[in-house]
Amino acid sequence: MISRNLSDSELVSLYRVGNEEAFEELVERHKSRVYTSIYLIVKDSYLAEDILQETFIKAVNTIKSGKYNEEGKFLPWIMRIAHNLSVDHFRKRKRFPVVVMEDGSQVLNSLDFADVPFETKHIQDEMHTKVRDLIQLLPENQKQVLIMRHYMGLSFQEIAENTDVSINTALGRMRYALINLRKQMKKYKIAYDQNFYPR
Amino acid sequence: MTKTFTQDDVVRYLYDDIPQTDRQEFEKALICDSELLDLFHELRATKRQLDNVQKEPGNHVVKNILDYSKTLNLHSVKK
Repeated sequence: MISRNLSDSELVSLYRVGNEEAFEELVERHKSRVYTSIYLIVKDSYLAEDILQETFIKAVNTIKSGKYNEEGKFLPWIMRIAHNLSVDHFRKRKRFPVVVMEDGSQVLNSLDFADVPFETKHIQDEMHTKVRDLIQLLPENQKQVLIMRHYMGLSFQEIAENTDVSINTALGRMRYALINLRKQMKKYKIAYDQNFYPR
Repeated sequence: MTKTFTQDDVVRYLYDDIPQTDRQEFEKALICDSELLDLFHELRATKRQLDNVQKEPGNHVVKNILDYSKTLNLHSVKK
């Protein structure tokens, strides 16, 4: 059994020599972060799942064909693939927006909350949906930095380089994004989530 | 000389993006500067909410990915 303490690069090395469990751990470790990043760009649960699948398939092909550059880090690398695919799909679909219910695939996703009473779960879901909606309402440059830093895990230096701004601008945008979200959360009375942070 | 920290440093600290050498000094500054501390609490609460709203893909998607990887492995073994 694969140890959860192994780093991403150790897992990739094991995967390269045919250890499928190592890949399973990589997928398990990063699927939510990658999926959320994609979702926040394309705003469609089903499309985000397709792109997630496409992203990891690209990663499989690259690693198994020996083209993966070991010097880079796995997460920023796979996030770049996800980001590029999301932007491509988003551009293609922009002219034909499709309305999809937010809870499209929630039945399969409820396992983590199995011991939470239905009403609490419902309230949590609504609250989380509202927060995701609030992220979408942020000015584009703030939303971009927020997704890149919080969900994609890029450093502020990397964000500055990727978006052609100074590191101070990237930091400022992130600060405003968080402050704006906080104000909106207060406005909509989105409470501090006691179920996750009981202190 | 005491270093002055800005609101952007709060963001850096929150996201573990502050140089290690500045970390302890920043923590001291937080204790002394109530405005900085308030901002830190506000931003930290927001960050936690953002962690909570992570979405999970369906199990079938994960299975498809893992199956694809295994299938590709079988092909390469056959060669």
